[in-house]
Amino acid sequence: MKSIFSPRRRIALLAVALLLFPVVFSGAFARDIGVAFLLAAISASAWNIVGGYAGQVSVGHSMFFGIGAYMPLLFYSLFGWSPIAGIPVGIVLSIALAVVIGMPTFRLTGHYFSMATIAVAELIRIFVGTWDFVGAAVGLQGPATARGWWDLTFRSELPYYYIFLAVLGIVLATTAFIERRRFGFYLRAIKASERAARSLGVPVRRTKMQALALSAAFTSVAGSLYAAKTGFIDPDSGFGILVSVQMVIVAALGGAGMLFGPLLGALILIPLQIATNTWFGGGGSGLTYILYGGIIVVIARFEPGGLFELWYRVVPERWRRAYAT
Amino acid sequence: MLLDAKNVSKAFGSFLAVSGADLAVDEHEIIGLIGPNGAGKSTFFNCLAGETMPTTGRIVFAGEDVTRAGPAVHARAGIGRTFQVPITFEDMTVLENVMVGAFLRRPHRNDARDHARRIVELTGLQPEQRPRSLGTPGRKRLEIARVLATDPRLLLLDESLAGLTPTELQAAIALVRRIHDMGITIVIVEHIMEVIMTLTKRVLVFNQGHVIASGTPESVVRQDAVIEAYLGRAHRRQQDQKSV
Repeated sequence: MKSIFSPRRRIALLAVALLLFPVVFSGAFARDIGVAFLLAAISASAWNIVGGYAGQVSVGHSMFFGIGAYMPLLFYSLFGWSPIAGIPVGIVLSIALAVVIGMPTFRLTGHYFSMATIAVAELIRIFVGTWDFVGAAVGLQGPATARGWWDLTFRSELPYYYIFLAVLGIVLATTAFIERRRFGFYLRAIKASERAARSLGVPVRRTKMQALALSAAFTSVAGSLYAAKTGFIDPDSGFGILVSVQMVIVAALGGAGMLFGPLLGALILIPLQIATNTWFGGGGSGLTYILYGGIIVVIARFEPGGLFELWYRVVPERWRRAYAT
Repeated sequence: MLLDAKNVSKAFGSFLAVSGADLAVDEHEIIGLIGPNGAGKSTFFNCLAGETMPTTGRIVFAGEDVTRAGPAVHARAGIGRTFQVPITFEDMTVLENVMVGAFLRRPHRNDARDHARRIVELTGLQPEQRPRSLGTPGRKRLEIARVLATDPRLLLLDESLAGLTPTELQAAIALVRRIHDMGITIVIVEHIMEVIMTLTKRVLVFNQGHVIASGTPESVVRQDAVIEAYLGRAHRRQQDQKSV
């Protein structure tokens, strides 16, 4: 007899909980936390494809997030078009950038790859900050009042919550799909040993490139959602290193290379981050860096596999089986 | 002829690791490469596997020139290899490890899984085990299983039988025989002479980057150059005692 904790039912329970969250917690603050959680989960899940599964730890994913965030507002600023028009352009540009960045940087491994991605993202941030066409350091603004639903400008948090939840569902479903296919196996093999993977005929560079392109596309969508929600974007909130670092930490805290790792990481980190910002006001923004730094040290030192791996190690297998069957 | 490596040399700067080595392998052969540490066996082996590009020479496999091709191309052509120090995919189960190999010629998951299950059974491993719980002999067996799943025509075994207990060694020799019986050609680098004498019909002896002898194992071990460079005088005394 299957218990309510079988894997499929756990996913169904999670989906129901996420669907009902804004109904149960109808306050604006709770819903705001919910939206921030979903956005962090989308970004980190997108990063997880290349950083978690393929083990290519990019710390420059803000370049894709920023492109995704700028395009909708740029189209609105230039032509008065709906921000939705900029989303596919952001995706295409992010994929193109992923290919251009991936070709030279995938020759590098480990820390060198991470450092190269930071350098590229920072160069783009500085360039955007001085480019008048995209608002330079001031940035861009979206519609102040909505002309219709297509402006993605809502007074309530509720529509954002369900749009973000739908996108998260798509990202997770895509990840779950590739996880079970040859592509997913190849990514995990590359993460473990590129040398061994090559010896088994795995096209390592092509697979990494495809993972980066897919990851970039979803990260770009996350950026577009962020811009639609806030109605404003500037170089720091789009391309800042903290954007990239947050994706890495959220995924690593929950479990990089695991489907629900980013969700668990976001569930812990986002309320914590909002709490520090609330308690300490403007002075709390510096605390976020300290919090991130502390989490990096703790994860790297004690639990590189994240909390899910801790669960698998600490909880005896027979208990887990009892839950699952 | 399945593999034809001609005049293969590999230089690292001014150091010549392999100098003008030739190796012709017919289908269904088992060939041994022996020699002291640093003789150039592994470098030559890596050239055959596509991991190291030869400085000079030509490697033709099944009529296709693979001299400048990388390891993934070699694998697709039908050359499979194991590593001296086994490299397994630690976060995957034994079955998943083998499935990575099986995916090479079976893109669909169910086909790859069924094929991987058959190989895991053949090699006597437990499909749900994790590599870290296997120990060195088990990990070496897993590497063999993983490369077998790619359906190689030529299998390059790099000291896959080293470090085993006598019982494990007999089981491993039996496994290599079974693989050979499946019609797979094997080139084996090994230090254990028992393995070479039992399994191979032809041996190449490397020393200081050169092939110093080749022939049947029985003839090679009696050659002065081989005894001097690799087997040592103790081996000669053993041979003399046996003949008395």
